[in-house]
Amino acid sequence: MKRFTLLLKNEFKLFRTTIPVHLIGIFQPALMFSLMALVLVTPTFDMQVARSGDPLGDDLIRAMEQVGSPIGQPYINPILVESFPGQEIQGGQLIEFIWQAERPTALQRFGLIDSNMVKNFRNRLTAAALLLWNESLGDKAVVIEEAPWLPRDIPYSVYFGMAMMPLAANLAASLIGAYLSAQEFEFKTIIEYRLSPVSMYQVTGARLLRLALTGLLSGLVLMVVIGITTGIWPVSAGWVVLILFCVALIGGCIGTLAGLYFQKVLPAFLVGLALSFFTWIMGSAFGLAAGFSGPYEAVSRFMPNTYAVELLFPLYYQVNIGSRLPAILILTFACLLFILATLITYWRKVLVVRK
Amino acid sequence: MKRVWVLFKSEFKVWRHDPITAFGGILPPAFILIAFALLFGGRLSFKVAVVNLDQGTLGGVLRQSFDQVISPLSNAPYYLAQDMNLNEAMGAYERYQVEGIWVIPPDFTDSVVSGEKPALEMYFFNYNDDRAKNHRIYSAEILWHFYKQIGYPEPPLEIAEQYPLPVMVDWVPVIAVGVALLSVCLGSIFNIYALTYKEQISHMTLEFGLAPRSLAWVLIPKVVLALIFGLVSGSLFLIVIDLWIGFWPGDYIWGFWLLSGLTALFWIGLAIVAGLRSRNYMAGAIAIVLTAIIVFFIGGGLGLIRYHAEDVQWYSWLFPNTHAIDPIRDLVLFNTWPVDWNATLAKLIGFAVLSLFFGMTLTARWLRRLD
Repeated sequence: MKRFTLLLKNEFKLFRTTIPVHLIGIFQPALMFSLMALVLVTPTFDMQVARSGDPLGDDLIRAMEQVGSPIGQPYINPILVESFPGQEIQGGQLIEFIWQAERPTALQRFGLIDSNMVKNFRNRLTAAALLLWNESLGDKAVVIEEAPWLPRDIPYSVYFGMAMMPLAANLAASLIGAYLSAQEFEFKTIIEYRLSPVSMYQVTGARLLRLALTGLLSGLVLMVVIGITTGIWPVSAGWVVLILFCVALIGGCIGTLAGLYFQKVLPAFLVGLALSFFTWIMGSAFGLAAGFSGPYEAVSRFMPNTYAVELLFPLYYQVNIGSRLPAILILTFACLLFILATLITYWRKVLVVRK
Repeated sequence: MKRVWVLFKSEFKVWRHDPITAFGGILPPAFILIAFALLFGGRLSFKVAVVNLDQGTLGGVLRQSFDQVISPLSNAPYYLAQDMNLNEAMGAYERYQVEGIWVIPPDFTDSVVSGEKPALEMYFFNYNDDRAKNHRIYSAEILWHFYKQIGYPEPPLEIAEQYPLPVMVDWVPVIAVGVALLSVCLGSIFNIYALTYKEQISHMTLEFGLAPRSLAWVLIPKVVLALIFGLVSGSLFLIVIDLWIGFWPGDYIWGFWLLSGLTALFWIGLAIVAGLRSRNYMAGAIAIVLTAIIVFFIGGGLGLIRYHAEDVQWYSWLFPNTHAIDPIRDLVLFNTWPVDWNATLAKLIGFAVLSLFFGMTLTARWLRRLD
């Protein structure tokens, strides 16, 4: 145990030789969240409406202002503009009040053909026009009684940040792990490990523990940033630590594996980086995996981040989605699998002497 | 000229020793593109359970509306509706196997016919306000269609649409072009690091400092080679996009090379500073690569920004990618000359010249400082 403690201390001392790398690895995900949170989609869209003298035009504006969440934000910010022939459409679309086939019509003229934006603008106009229709129908109008899951709509940035925490833990551990492991080969210090009488379990264990703790720190920094910017904190920091530790451990294994295989810093870094971002996007980064297409959900089941997000979810939303046990078991199994793969690779690449 | 050629050939050999890094512009963007294609390329309909308890016929008409109302996004219905009884639906909802439940009550038809405030219940997840918003505004599309189907009195205001082009572009092609630009940038950045790594390992930077001739002879071949490989990476991506999604710039490929090349030169200028300073070599590499990826996300990599430029944050405009991305989409997706071509070109030239000038000047000064 004493030897292990010495090895661990030595691992942490390596921090002093690569301070900038550690600082970037630890803080860059929090910076990424801070910058991205400001450009995330918000439910309120500016929608330009051409000024018209018709009272129906005024009714439409009033209806547009009413479209929104009763427990959240409005969905439309109507902006009245003057319209003229040949006008360039600003802001993606322009609604003009016209008569078509002897019927009053809100013509939505698009300046873009991005299907997602068209969908968003179309749905909002339909919702406003439906409000007018419902008013004219009186008691014949169908009422939708909403039963949302949570008492208020939670801003997207909370979910986005929560799902980014496993990325932070994974990325920091993976990049630093790749860098340190590959450097051992480039600086030939791997020979010392090769000649060392200390068991490979202790050497690898100390390295992985230190990488996992570094990744965990990065994840916790992000947790603090999310808490400060959104005011939402997890109900149990202890569970967060455990979950992120597992993800960071896997990240540390991936980085170490990349370093052992490539034995050069740049390709090892490249592989660690690519895998970290892939597992993030595929691991429920933009919404719970079950809410997307079948192929996405199927692939996401192979990503540790998916299970980490499922376990973090009740800590942030205080509601469960199914049982937590399968996610705990799979994440634990993934950790053990990656540790085993790292030990085997270490043995093959470092201890087996090739003639 | 012969000297440049000799240096050029010598640098070229670096790639043979480290082909993975040479293709640094391929691997991360490929993973990102595959992930986004799986995320947004499939059917994006919301999975909902429909519990139709209606004893009349109109509940069935409403149920059919779920399959008939088509979203422009991926040309599929807004909802992937599954018929369930109430218990099954609640169980699936609690396990998040469905995103919502629509309950059509037993007296639905009667209340619609008699005009006695017909009502439906809609359960839905609102763990993020964007998805909650979609549930609410998709339901308007369903009701609009339902009213038309059952012959309700005409709406006071009809709705109609007009598009600038007869085609619609989905999310994945929009993102794919962003990824192609990222590929050019990352390809250039990784190659600058690959081309300066030899100097770091063998401490040759001292020899550069003692060189009697201008350091431009050393730096220019690296810049040119990194740029070429960045462009090769991006072009390979364009071929993938063509084969996979069916978009190719055609004769406008020169425009793509020019705009993305100028963008890459900006990143090369930043990368070369850290690339030839041994103390911060790897930290610089990690910082610049991660910054380029962040800029992909905040600088229009995931969506068109020209039509909501006001939502783009000021710091995003500090990077050329944000200025270049939509004109590049014009070239690749729509095969049209960007209306803001001249302005974009001028801005990108400005970014590239400033970055290269300061990058190379700083690098040369640090290399010449022999203490």
